[in-house]
Amino acid sequence: MTTRAEFMERIRREMARTRGLFPARVAERPADPMTAAELVRRQLAERWPQALERFRQEFERLSGVFHAVASPSEVPAVVGRIARERSARRLITWSAGALGADLGEGFRREGLDAVAMPDDPVDEAAARELRAINAAAEIGITGADLAIGETGTLVLVSGRGRPRSTSLLPEYHVAVFDRRALVETLEQAGVMLEAWHADPAGPMSGGVINFITGPSRTADIELTLTRGVHGPREVHAIFVSR
Amino acid sequence: MSLLRGGLRPPSEPPPGMAPAKPALERSGPHLREENTLLSAPVESRSFPERAAGATRDRFLQQALTIATTRFVASRDEVFAAFPQGDALRDRARQIKEAVLQRLDHYLEELTANVERAGGHVHFATTAEEARAIILDLARRNQVKLIVKGKSMAAEEIHLNEALEHAGMAVAETDLGEYIIQLAHERPSHIIAPAIHKTKAQIADLFARELRREVAADPEVITGLARGTLREKFLQADMGITGANFAVADTGTIVLVTNEGNGRMVTSLPRVHVALMGVEKVIPSMTDLVIFLQILAKSATGQKLSSYTTLVRGPRRPTELEGPQELHLVLMDNGRVRQLAGTLREALYCLRCGACLNVCPVYRQIGGHAYGDTYPGPIGILMTAMLRGTPAVKDLAHASSLCGACAEVCPVRIDIPRMLIELREHLDREKIAPWPERLLFKACGWLLGRPALYRLAAPLARLGQAPFVRDGRIRSLPSFFGRWTRTRDLPAVAARTFGERWAALERGA
Repeated sequence: MTTRAEFMERIRREMARTRGLFPARVAERPADPMTAAELVRRQLAERWPQALERFRQEFERLSGVFHAVASPSEVPAVVGRIARERSARRLITWSAGALGADLGEGFRREGLDAVAMPDDPVDEAAARELRAINAAAEIGITGADLAIGETGTLVLVSGRGRPRSTSLLPEYHVAVFDRRALVETLEQAGVMLEAWHADPAGPMSGGVINFITGPSRTADIELTLTRGVHGPREVHAIFVSR
Repeated sequence: MSLLRGGLRPPSEPPPGMAPAKPALERSGPHLREENTLLSAPVESRSFPERAAGATRDRFLQQALTIATTRFVASRDEVFAAFPQGDALRDRARQIKEAVLQRLDHYLEELTANVERAGGHVHFATTAEEARAIILDLARRNQVKLIVKGKSMAAEEIHLNEALEHAGMAVAETDLGEYIIQLAHERPSHIIAPAIHKTKAQIADLFARELRREVAADPEVITGLARGTLREKFLQADMGITGANFAVADTGTIVLVTNEGNGRMVTSLPRVHVALMGVEKVIPSMTDLVIFLQILAKSATGQKLSSYTTLVRGPRRPTELEGPQELHLVLMDNGRVRQLAGTLREALYCLRCGACLNVCPVYRQIGGHAYGDTYPGPIGILMTAMLRGTPAVKDLAHASSLCGACAEVCPVRIDIPRMLIELREHLDREKIAPWPERLLFKACGWLLGRPALYRLAAPLARLGQAPFVRDGRIRSLPSFFGRWTRTRDLPAVAARTFGERWAALERGA
């Protein structure tokens, strides 16, 4: 087996035989990512309505369904309506801590069979049980760390109380976010990624970051667009304006 | 002008268990587990011209190719037309790829350190055989029975499935197109749309046979069936294997771009995640990543972004309820590293978007299988030369009109025609090309270097062609030259050539 040293040595040997094709530089990263991110946030403090409008347009173009509510307490009613229209009942959700609001009681009032993901790791038996619940769930409720206007993309970071599968296994994914998540461009999202990475306590402490741009889709059979091949068939975004 | 020294060298390792320069294992399937499956599987024995001729006679294939490539090209053009910064970003992306190759060792060391810091393991594979052995060993040590796979050209390239199945493990492709191809025991015919050559009726029949149930020839129904079948496998699998579209050095992040969500399943549900990638996929930072993300999906499918871009940083965190306990990254050379100073260096920029296939007048006629190896299309010819050595593309190097459409759409502006010409030169210089071809080129070269003789050639050719010309075209020629006119006409030498007209003009002036 090739060792790391041998592998790298071989690469260096070949690199030494050429100066390359032309002088080239990699992308310039923000010198201070935290400050750059702060700058983006300050811009968005004024421009978020434009970012939201662009997000709504792009998201709907992807066949996403956009909803707006005034406060978190109105979220369960919207979810209840989505569920009833689709004869769905079984719901899983990020933990109250991860969502920033405890919606459990609200979901139950809507007649939904809601299970919130625990914040702390569980033993193996409980993990198996959770997995069965996740696999059978029809609706998954998550937050969103970013909502990108340019592409209608929701960015979700995994971590405490925010499992990767909540936005993946159910047929209907509902993401709840407010204006703090809004950015206008992918480039700004890149600044946020740099800042998260620079901040050891930030969201990059999670294992996986997912950029979700519309429902799961394929065109593998005669280029016919088909939704919900492995992931959600429908994605809903609920914007909380307060 | 190229600053590169050194030319093409033959591969150090012919792929084990198969004849060099041949695509192998066209039909080996999961049900074949005999000791010698890997060795005795039938290999494609037809030559490239025979395969190409077969493809042009396949009426359904012709129709499927036209529809698919036309649609891909239209979607791509549309999304770039509405994205004025696209051209500047493509220049940036090209620069980044070149800059990374100039410090490849540095970025790979950084990537390795950061993947390890995040709790992952990094392995180094010089050859395809080594990459297979590493992954097999990981599977054995974890007592793996069922493996779910995300779409990976790197895994196709090393015939990973066959090796795992040969060792008694079940492997399920989970990209719908790849799953269809796996059920049919075929190989992908397009980089991003692997089953582009099949009709829904053929796929419905295939599912009915393999899954033993009635299946309507409706993409919605077939997809639903695949969802159910593969969902079970995701939940049961012990190991997930993926490729990597990028790996970000400074965060140790593996990036997967998918539309179906299978990449997310594969990296979330099984105990072990193995990612296999060519060394050239490393990029420095998240800022670089965002530049590539802005052009990749646009080039591939005409989407602004693919449905899912998944950034995987290490295995499951202590705060997480799910996710793999182990993460392994396999860095693979397999013919790439020697091209750092070789003719094909620029091919190492490739993002595998498939845009060059869709615009290629040759691919559009013959489809992916006719190329006979893992990577089809214009970039595929270069990849085949990289993986198997120049003699393997003796015919393929000519499967291009050098029209330059590929270079025009390439998100990182790879000059594919230049490298094809260099390959042809090499084939000639090393006497790999057949002697009539070399003689013809030599004669042409000799003639073109002598303007006086060249001017004489036109009147001579007019004399010589006279018996064959009809309506200004030559429809058939005798003997050796008949090979050209068998499939297409040859325009006759004009009554007055451009050179003759020019000379007349100058005299008149």
